[in-house]
Amino acid sequence: MSTVFKALSDPTRRKVLQLLQAGPIGAGELAEMFDVSKPTMSAHFAVLAGAGLIEAEKQGRTITYRLRLSVLEEALLGFAQAFGLQVTRPEESHSEVKSKQEKQ
Amino acid sequence: MKTAYPLGRALAGAALIVAATALLRWAAPEYLSLEMARRLTGVLLGAVVVVYANAIPKSLMALARLRCSPAREQAARRFAGWSLVLGGLGYMAAALLAPLAIMHLLGGSILAVALAAAILRCMRARATVPG
Repeated sequence: MSTVFKALSDPTRRKVLQLLQAGPIGAGELAEMFDVSKPTMSAHFAVLAGAGLIEAEKQGRTITYRLRLSVLEEALLGFAQAFGLQVTRPEESHSEVKSKQEKQ
Repeated sequence: MKTAYPLGRALAGAALIVAATALLRWAAPEYLSLEMARRLTGVLLGAVVVVYANAIPKSLMALARLRCSPAREQAARRFAGWSLVLGGLGYMAAALLAPLAIMHLLGGSILAVALAAAILRCMRARATVPG
């Protein structure tokens, strides 16, 4: 459950989940919607996939992400959107993304 | 399909509920009146629905590969999950608060409406096959 809270603590990741609520979206298309570099976005995707909130589907060279939220997780997402859940400090969240980038 | 709640865990949960009930009955029979036992049974039934319905949007991933549009299928799955969770909560509320005579009828009606809404929504999603 802590991985879920960690994943929901970042506004970019919450926005990704919000966008995926409309339906599955390709990784490239999703990354273009944000003003961050592609490696940073793939690190965010990795955190969300690690928490089991999204699922990646590979079709040829393209990756499509689809939502994988339980009702409770979706309620938590709504709660976090409404009240701005911040379980980790911004610098922690940033360093976590950086370390994921370094691993890749 | 990978299940979110394996059979062993479900059986262990059921055994725990039965053991806790038997222990309460044995240790403090005065706290467990017939009315309270009926209400608690209703609450537990509602809780089981809530727990399993919570996992519906997550565990039914295999359905995402069915012929209907992925966006519609996802929306239907989310709707079914929410509908059944709210139905289960409604059943629990009815079991706790409604008069004993209509408790099961009221709870069952709420749950039936939630189930019918979920089934209809899934059928509508499957009916609109793209191409």
